[in-house]
Order: sequence, then structure tokens, then C-alpha cells
Amino acid sequence: MMRVTKTIAALSMVGGLMAGTQALADPFKIGVCYDLSKAYTFATPQIAQAAQDLAKIVNMEGGIGGEPVEVIVRDHGNEPQRGIECYSKLSREGVFVFDTLSTPVSLAVLPRAMEDENILMQSLVGRADAVDGTVFDWVYPVGPTYWGQAANDIGYIKQVHDGDLSGVKVGFIYFDYPFGQEPIEILETLAEKEGFELMLYPIPLPGSDQAGAWSKMRRDQPDHVISWMLGGAHVVAAKEMARNRIPMEKYIAVNWLNEVDIANIGNEAAIGLKRGTNVVGGLDVPLRQKMMTELYDKGEGSGPIVKTEDVFYNTGLAMYSIMFEAARKAAEIDGMPITAQSYKKGLESLEGYDADGLMAPITVTADDHGGGGKTRIEMWDGETWVPQTDWIADYKDIVWDVVKESSSKYGN
Amino acid sequence: MFYRLSGVYRVNYVSDGRMFKVPADRNLAVVFLFLGLAAPFIVPSLYLNSYMLPWLIWTAAALGLNLVTGWAGQLHLGYAAVMAVGAYSAIHAARFGLPWEIALVIGGLASSVIGSLFAFAALRVKGLYLALTTLAMQFVMDWVLTHSPAISGGSHASLQAPTLELLGQEIVSDTGYYYVAFGWCVLVTIFMLNLKRTGLGRALVAVREKDYAAAILGVNSFYYKILAFATSSFIAGVSGALLVATFFFLAAPEQFSVNVSIQVLAMVIIGGLASVIGSYFGVALILLVPGLVNGVVTSASQALGMQVNVETLAHIPNAVYGALIVVILLIEPLGLGKLYGNIRDYLMVWPFDQLRK
Repeated sequence: MMRVTKTIAALSMVGGLMAGTQALADPFKIGVCYDLSKAYTFATPQIAQAAQDLAKIVNMEGGIGGEPVEVIVRDHGNEPQRGIECYSKLSREGVFVFDTLSTPVSLAVLPRAMEDENILMQSLVGRADAVDGTVFDWVYPVGPTYWGQAANDIGYIKQVHDGDLSGVKVGFIYFDYPFGQEPIEILETLAEKEGFELMLYPIPLPGSDQAGAWSKMRRDQPDHVISWMLGGAHVVAAKEMARNRIPMEKYIAVNWLNEVDIANIGNEAAIGLKRGTNVVGGLDVPLRQKMMTELYDKGEGSGPIVKTEDVFYNTGLAMYSIMFEAARKAAEIDGMPITAQSYKKGLESLEGYDADGLMAPITVTADDHGGGGKTRIEMWDGETWVPQTDWIADYKDIVWDVVKESSSKYGN
Repeated sequence: MFYRLSGVYRVNYVSDGRMFKVPADRNLAVVFLFLGLAAPFIVPSLYLNSYMLPWLIWTAAALGLNLVTGWAGQLHLGYAAVMAVGAYSAIHAARFGLPWEIALVIGGLASSVIGSLFAFAALRVKGLYLALTTLAMQFVMDWVLTHSPAISGGSHASLQAPTLELLGQEIVSDTGYYYVAFGWCVLVTIFMLNLKRTGLGRALVAVREKDYAAAILGVNSFYYKILAFATSSFIAGVSGALLVATFFFLAAPEQFSVNVSIQVLAMVIIGGLASVIGSYFGVALILLVPGLVNGVVTSASQALGMQVNVETLAHIPNAVYGALIVVILLIEPLGLGKLYGNIRDYLMVWPFDQLRK
């Protein structure tokens, strides 16, 4: 019995020591609770790989404030319950910056993050009105909201038509659930303001049956088609467009379209296809090339190289560049160790940051947690993405009206 | 030796009507009741809040489904939709300013009403046809939720729950949330344990085994089917409302989507139809094992120093979890509850039964 007690005592001492050393090193950690096995797998592996690669580079260059950084990747299978579990577990391990990249999980974690005063990064997912920093103190959807992105798409169409949208027909094809429905309100407001005709084409999930919508579109003949769909649904859309002889040039996709979809559509058939984005597509991006020379050429990449030849890899680099840059700023302002409070200051001191030409410059403020919401339209030319506009953020006042109207309802 | 019994013999009506036929089962239940009460003081808050609390609420919900599927024998694939009705009506009632106690009852009653609609389908069709009908109702509910901002709470379809307040106590701490969930689960468990020994329970079983044979015996299957759906829906509604009030803090359509319905059904089937303890096991397996296996696999790969790709790492637990379900159902098709029963029956008169062999 005595021996057992001694062993337990020794073990607990070792445990205590280990916990002690962990507390000493205190690296800056990001909790990456991702859906790596269910609905979001079209993008999460690339983005998680980018996060890990970027952390390696940061550590090779001496870390942040002299300490190494760490990204902790966990799977939550797109289940809110497991997302909360991941959040609770990591927040008890001293993580205070989280990214879920899943709308249902982000929604479920948000009340807890607000309550615990932890930073919830939710670029490209979650409730869009969280860009309103006056309401959502701890939530940072850095990047465009779907409202802003849709408004910028209209801004691009307006440029194409030399500033006059009267008589122009814009079709909007979307998944008939909250993700796809989100931009409708803003598009309707803009249609009224600019005088273009908006036509709606809802698609039932998972988007494999679009025949009805596209044959209706053949009759309506819209000048542009804005598409709010994901992954394989773009491929189905491309087939239906070919069948109904609607040229690919008319198609403007939401940012969720990548090289895998292009390959499935067929490279030739995809020429002329456009997508809205806040991140530069293609392989000629300085930061991505740095990854190649520093990591992949030496065989030290965090995953297969093919996953880096993907716009979502660039998206991941952009998202995590922002997070690490904010940590650097936080260390500069308030020194080490970084806390949630100082990290918040770090984020809100980002000004015109574009991660070496990787993305639209962002300026995060205490009021605008979205960083300005700039996007541009890029077109696939058969080899790479060709920008069609500058970085634009159009109709900001209208977008913010919608944001404020929605965010004012939070908590009441 | 372990049970101090020579077997379960029904020697008089009193012993036949007992809730626990084996005293050791009762003692075990009491021990777990006390453990449950003491949990906030002995279980670290992470486990209390992220594992035990959802486990208890989902167990209450699964018990409700077990009532209609296990006892009354009506296959139900739209259970999450019924939970959603309860959750949304309770939250709307609470947001309207009604006290939570009343809001919860409103949620339960609203679920009862909508859930009874499923019963009308059940009166016409059986088995797989009923499964499809209830599935269709689930899709109708999904559609209603995603297309009516007034119900689901604006363009993001997320509805904030006001702070839970019961009996004049504002509940904001982890411990408080846990006790609410625990209390509800205990209530439902006591109800289900008693169901077995009431006329209602026996009538439900009669309807399950053969509804027209039940009718010949004088059991009105029409009445009992509606009653089963209404009761189980009430449990679903309150469980859904408590799930949001104590765990999610806001309601979103994904929390009550079709795959959740299938998960609850899986909890009931793997736990064991018409088994109360089985529901506890089934929920633990379906709800908690994926996360736990995930943690084990992750830490094992770290401990072994393996550079496993994050994507592979995420899929291994899923494979393990799937295999686990298959293996369990192969070993004991009647579920985890029966597995427990087998072990108990084996140990009941051990070692004296060995003499015969």
C-alpha cells in the first residue's frame, strides 16, 4: 500500500512539473477546431495545412516575442456539441484565440467566447453581423461578409456596365438555406437603388439537382449570374450552363470555389468563370513561394504539395497571417505574454495589412471587426486567376445598415 | 455472490410490481444518483460541462424517443424536429417575458401538439412507411426553420436564449446548468422506470407487439399511439429547450437537423429498445465516443511522435467509432442495455451456476 501511495505521489509530482514547464514556455497558441471529416472538408484540409506551414515559418524566424507559436488542430466533425467540447478543452489549456471555420459551430461557440472573453476568429463563416465590434467585442470575422461580398459583386457588374445598371438582369442562384439566403436582402436593396432586375433561383441542398433553375434561366436570360453554392454544386451548375448554352463568362461564384472544382468542371470549360475573393489566387504569391522554398523544397511541408496549389491554401495563409500579425502587434504593444486583452489590441491595430500582397488590405478597428470587407473579382483563364477589378468595398453604408439592423437584435 | 439472489422469482404481486427486480440494481441506481449529485464537486468543470451535461440532456431526449420507438414500437425519424419545436417555442416564450418554468411547459406542450400530428400518420401506416412519413415531417420542419426568420431569428437563423431562471434563481454557473440537466434527466428516468409497471406501459407494449391483438384485448391502440407520441414529444420539447438554455445558449436549425434525428434513433437502437439504462449507454456511445476517441488518437499520435496528417487524424476516430457500433450490434443486437443485462444475469448466481456445467 505504501508503495502505491509513493508511486502516486511521484507521478503527481512529475505531472505537476510537466504542467509547470508548460506554463513557463507559454507559447502563443491558436485553437483550430475544424471540421476535417464532414461537411467542410472541401476547404478545411488546405486551410489547416496553411496554418501549420505558417506556424513553422514563424517559428523558424524566431517565433513571436521570442516564444514559439503553436496551432492546435482538432476535428469537430461540424457538430456544435463537439465544437463546444474542443473550445472548452483548449480554453482550459490556455488557448484564447479560436477559429472554427464552420457556421454551425461558430454560432454555438460564440456565446461562450463572448462570455469568457476569448477571441473568436470567424473569417468567412458564422454570423456576418459580428463585424459590428460595438456589439461583438470578442468576435473577429476578418475578411468580407457575404453581404459585403454580394454588394461588391454588384459593384463589379456596375463597372462592367459603365456605371449604369438600369435594365440589367442579374440572376442569383443559391442554396436554399441560411448560407445561400443571406445575400438576398442586400441584393434586393441594391436592385431597388440601382434599378437592375434581380431574379432568384433557389436550389435545394445538396445542389445536385439544378435542372429546373437553369432552364428557367435560359428563358429569363440574365446578363450575370451570381452563385452562392459550394463545392460540387458549382460543377453541376457548369454542366447545366453548357446544356442551356449560357456562357461561362456570366458566372460569378462566391469565394467557395477552387481548383478542384475547376478540374471537375474541365479546365477548358471553366475558362471565363469568375469568383469573388479577398485573397489573391494562383501560385505566384510571394508568401506561398516562401512556403515552397523554405518548407516544401526541403520536404518539411505539413502535408501534400498538391493541397498548396489551391486558392483555399492561399485563403488559409491569409487568415493565419492576420492572426500571427495581430499577435506580433500585441507583443509590441503590451509585451509578452500575450493575453486575450492585448491580442484584441493587436488585432485592432492592424492597418492596411495585406500579408505581402496576398490579400485585400485590411484595417481592423474597434468598430469594424471585418477589416473593411474588400474583395475583387478574379477570372479563371485556363491557368490562373486574373483579377478583373481593384480591391473594392462598394455600398458600404448599405451593408452597414444591414449589419447594424441585425446586430442590434443580439442579446435582446 | 455479488447479488445475494438465487435468481429473480416472482413469488407475490408486490415483488412483481417492484421497480427494481434485483436489489443490487436499486442500490447501484442510488449510488449513481448520489454520484450525479456530487459530480460538480468531483468532476473537473471541463468534463462536467462538455461531456456530462449534454450526455444527461440527450439521455432524457433519447428516453423520450425510446418511449415511442422502444415501448410503443413506432419508428420515428423526425424526433429532432419535435425537439426543435420545443426549443423554439420555449425560447420565444421566454423572450416574450414569460418565466422559464412556464416557457418550458409551453415548449413541451407545443411539441406535444406538433408531435401528435406524427401520430395521425402512425395510425395509417406502420414500419418503414411510418419511418418515411416522420422523416418527411423532419424535412418540413427544416424547411420551416430555414424559411421563416420570425421563428428562427433573422437572416443568420440563430435565436439567442435569455438567461435561464428557475424558481427565482438566475442560473449562470456551470454547476447550475449541470443540476438543471441532471434534475430533468432524473425526472424522465423515474417516469420511464415507472412506465414499465403501469397499465400505460403494458398497453404500449401490447400495441407494439400487435396492435390489432391489443385491440381485441380491449386496448385502444388509437388512443395509446397518440398518447405515446404526445408524451414522448413533451419530453423531446422540454429536452430541446433545456439543451439550448443550458448548453448551446442559442438555437440554430443545424442543431435539430435530420442527421440529429438519425443520431437520436441510433442512440436508442444501440442502447437497446425499451431499455432505460441502455439509453444512458447509447447516448454515451453516440454522443461522447467520437470526441473521446478523437482525443485518444490525437494524444496517442503525439505520444508516439508520429507526424500524422491532420486529415488522416480526423478520419481514424470516425472509422474506429463506426467499427465500434458494428461490433457492438454484432455481439448483442438488442443493444448495450441488454449487454449489461447479460453480464448481470451471468453474475447473478455466480459461482454456483458453474457447478451445473
